[in-house]
Amino acid sequence: MPFLRFIGFSIVRAWQGFWRNAMMSLAATATVILMLVLLSALFIVISGLNHGLAFIESKVAVTARLEDDLSENRLKRLIAEVEAMPGVASVEYVSPDAAMARLEASYREIGRELDLGAPDSNITLFASLEISLSDPDASADVSAALTQNDDVERVLTKQAEYDTLLGIINVIRTVGIVGVGLVGLTVLFMIINTIRIAVYSRANEIEIMRLVGASDSFIRWPFILEGILCGLIGSVVTIFLVAAIWDPIQPAMVQVFQMPTAVSGQFLTTLSLLLLAVGLGVGAIGSWISVRSYLAAAR
Amino acid sequence: MTSLLRRRTRTIPNDAPAPVISMVDVGMTYPNGKVALTDVNVSIPRGDFVFLVGPSGAGKSTFIRLLIREQLPTHGQVTVAGRDLLRMRRSQVPSLRRRIGIVFQDFRLLPNKTVWENVAFALEVTGAPGATIRRRAPQLLNLVGLHDHAHHLPTQLSGGEQQRVAIARALVHDPAILIADEPTGNLDPVTSWEIIQLLIQINQLGTTVLMATHNQEIVNAMRRRVLALEGGMLVRDESTAAYEREY
Repeated sequence: MPFLRFIGFSIVRAWQGFWRNAMMSLAATATVILMLVLLSALFIVISGLNHGLAFIESKVAVTARLEDDLSENRLKRLIAEVEAMPGVASVEYVSPDAAMARLEASYREIGRELDLGAPDSNITLFASLEISLSDPDASADVSAALTQNDDVERVLTKQAEYDTLLGIINVIRTVGIVGVGLVGLTVLFMIINTIRIAVYSRANEIEIMRLVGASDSFIRWPFILEGILCGLIGSVVTIFLVAAIWDPIQPAMVQVFQMPTAVSGQFLTTLSLLLLAVGLGVGAIGSWISVRSYLAAAR
Repeated sequence: MTSLLRRRTRTIPNDAPAPVISMVDVGMTYPNGKVALTDVNVSIPRGDFVFLVGPSGAGKSTFIRLLIREQLPTHGQVTVAGRDLLRMRRSQVPSLRRRIGIVFQDFRLLPNKTVWENVAFALEVTGAPGATIRRRAPQLLNLVGLHDHAHHLPTQLSGGEQQRVAIARALVHDPAILIADEPTGNLDPVTSWEIIQLLIQINQLGTTVLMATHNQEIVNAMRRRVLALEGGMLVRDESTAAYEREY
């Protein structure tokens, strides 16, 4: 019961304090919203690009174009050799006919017809091995080994695309983290300032509390909860904002970034929890610093 | 040497009750080098009514701040309500302060709270249950004669009435000691005597009262124990004394 009384007292006082100092509290809450909106945008973009990266990883990592007229025995031996290489998940043989069928299908997908000139032009495509990797880092070793093989005409990899996308992600991640960090610091100072003003405006009250024997917890926690309240309101508003624009975003996450639909369904929940944790955390840390420095000075 | 002599003269007899306030060789020097108290030795038994007198800057405020552990002495030992304040952990300070009530010259009431709320606030912030607050606040307002003013704001009260509210608030935890720092400083003579009568009544109920004052008339009329500080030194400690030394 004493603990519940303490909780009840702290919550009521925090709520009263928030509205007593309404302008500053709302300004602090607005900065929390700004920070969390930026964080949401960063999280959405980074998550999308990460899923795009995973999609590329899951696709054919190395393609080995084979020399013409490769005998069935040499083909089987080559497939066995490749399968035995470290980091190789699977090997699929694509015959010239199958390659041609794929090419025709890809043209049809974009509404065009593949034109090979005269019917007797006798154009054929290379046979190839499409190699999936269990370890994307093995791409270089597998490519090097295949390049040395006489049965392989040329080796194609997705490494360049992978590296480009990874580079983009790293840049966005770094810039985003620095940006969110700077805004986060601004929010932290805003909350520290808001709570400090609240503390100083109630200096008489705090002095009386100390003189009549209130513990530090009774003095400190209403202010900390006031900071948490700024974070909580900021988080909830941002979650509603993100939820409101989630419907147009979700198909893009699935189509553009190749995010699996099941993951996309869970994404809003994960993002909401992140926003809640960051909002509450920044509110709590800011107000804690503010009250702690005041009480330390008042000792 | 002086302090040794003083200590000898203030030795408490074995059968005397344990003091509720005790200072032994207490000295206090502020970080800026200002000496506030020098070798103060005081023992105040439970139930005493003691005046603390002296000119401004004599060390009265420091004396009081040491008792409520707002500050720690540079040297010496301070014991209040059986607790050694130097050995006390910070977390134990709130429980000490519940054993001490304190009132000030400027009342220090919360202007946006009613009389009842000001008294209840002191209980609420120490985690008292609602039932205790509802029982205790009216009791105290009855004691100080302000039951009818429970729903007034401090600004609607006279200075004497505001000081009564402050006294009621100081008594919420039924303290062993009531410290009054110039409680009549802002009041007219008639109202001052009303406050003194209230403090006497509280003292008769068993609470030790330590009152810092410049009011010679009250000290001379009361003929209670007087502690006189000058330049940070306890220059006089006499029972049933006057404001100034009488020859």
